[in-house]
Amino acid sequence: MQNLKGRIAFIFDEIDFDIDQIVGVKNIKIQDVDELASIAMQSYDPDFRDLVRPGDLLVGNSNFGYGHPHYPPMIAMRHLGIAGVIAESFSPGYWRGEIAMGFPQIPCPGIMDFVDRWDDVEVDWQDRQVRNLTKGKQLEFTELSEADMQMIQSGGLIGYLHARD
Amino acid sequence: MGATIAEKILARVSGRDSVRPGDEISAKPDFVIAYDFPGYTDVIFRQMKEEFGIDKVAEPERYALFIDHMVPAVTPAEEDLHQVTRDWGEANGVPVYERRGIGHHVASELGYAVPGAFAVHFDGHISQMGTFGTLAMGVRKHLLEAFVKERIKMRVPETVRVNLNGRLAEGVMARDAFHHIVRVLGPAACCFQVLEIGGDALPHISIDGRQTINCLAMFTGAVTSIMNPDADTLAYARDRARIELDPVASDDDADYAAIHEIDISELEPVVVVPPRPSNTQNLSDYAGTDVHVGYLGSCASGRLEDLEIAARVLRGHRVRDGFQLNIVPTSQAIMEEASKKGILTDLIASGAYVASSSCDYCFGRSGVMTAGQRAVSTGTLNVRGRMGSPDSEIYIMNAAAVAASAIEGKITDPRKYL
Repeated sequence: MQNLKGRIAFIFDEIDFDIDQIVGVKNIKIQDVDELASIAMQSYDPDFRDLVRPGDLLVGNSNFGYGHPHYPPMIAMRHLGIAGVIAESFSPGYWRGEIAMGFPQIPCPGIMDFVDRWDDVEVDWQDRQVRNLTKGKQLEFTELSEADMQMIQSGGLIGYLHARD
Repeated sequence: MGATIAEKILARVSGRDSVRPGDEISAKPDFVIAYDFPGYTDVIFRQMKEEFGIDKVAEPERYALFIDHMVPAVTPAEEDLHQVTRDWGEANGVPVYERRGIGHHVASELGYAVPGAFAVHFDGHISQMGTFGTLAMGVRKHLLEAFVKERIKMRVPETVRVNLNGRLAEGVMARDAFHHIVRVLGPAACCFQVLEIGGDALPHISIDGRQTINCLAMFTGAVTSIMNPDADTLAYARDRARIELDPVASDDDADYAAIHEIDISELEPVVVVPPRPSNTQNLSDYAGTDVHVGYLGSCASGRLEDLEIAARVLRGHRVRDGFQLNIVPTSQAIMEEASKKGILTDLIASGAYVASSSCDYCFGRSGVMTAGQRAVSTGTLNVRGRMGSPDSEIYIMNAAAVAASAIEGKITDPRKYL
């Protein structure tokens, strides 16, 4: 599987981060992708959508995705070009939802102290490492289950089930 | 080395003698359960046919569908969704249980909570079947896998054991015990693990209370929660069991990722302060906070024990003028029982609005709040916007505390009414 390579577009330092905050709870039922993308991250960095580039990655703290996560926030993020999320750890409900979308999620204890915003990083699936290209160091990430890896590889649940025996 | 109850169940359904945490397995669920909801069941039915060319599920007796959200329907689109579910159920020979109550609970009434069984749902609150020694997991959209394949692939999770010790004091309920677990251990204490609950307090916690505790496991990060069956839960479950299985229980020398001992004898009523399901505080610290709406119900609390204690609190009192107290029994069977016992009469006489069973009050479809309103609730969740406006607030507490707060229109310690 092709390595992820991009900049750290944002670091969510809040523990137990509720991803619905990315678009705001009052907007959580919006389905139009362009509209979602235009409101995403407004309360964190109003220039986010102009700064982000395809392939960029997000970083999260422990138990990222806790609460009652909905799909629109990460639909917006993918639309803006975000290619994956690296976090100290993930909340299972969020994890399942995004893996089913084929959206790469990388559990990587120590990531918060390992990167600064806009660092260039590479996620090497083969070596199971996150490389900080800006700082010239590397950090091992936690192995994903076979099914989760295959789901990311197949672009999500449907592709995975077609490929599965 | 022995095995946990979860490991024994996963070994059986994956055709192995034993499994260890981290093993990659293909597991055949004994039961696949869902309620109809836009984006879930309608999509699964369509994808089954269009993506995989499957017209019918192979073993319909393994599947169960519930119509418990959007009941009663208020738009033609909602009724359309229900009709799609009824039609699919009929075409597949899969039972559709409608207007029987909240499926997560009714599934146990109907014998799907077989001790030793493995069940999947898209919604994690199905974990309450763990009360009967059933391993029941919410897998979100991955539920499609269980509709198009005989087996689902998964990694065997570790188990965290939590022993509840001591006795709950008067006015302190299982609901408080669960949120105390989150307060002590934290919201990620059991991340991707199975929460197994035991301890010397457990035999003194009713089946209703155990269902409450297991229902909410997701807020510890757990993938599900389970208890070793005892004489009481076996007596409930065995008579109605849909399949014959030998119950299993954890071995004394089972290997746990962690074992936590939590004393609940000093516990007082708690409140889960918005907007986080992990923010457990002593209710006494919030007593006197003005509140406008009360909700007693949901798959977490709304069972006979909850209705009974609310009636005890309210007897001889009135719901404060202008306060909206909605009481929704978790199932129709519970409502019937509460009616026979005169509990409903007491609740209605106090000024409570009592409705037939539905999930709708819990997720902001019925009894919704406008900006600035504040609820006391036994619902599952207190995140922003859950019961209406994102600028309303939900304080979660036990059923007795909701009833007491309804009398005063302020967050109120229920113990003075008991």
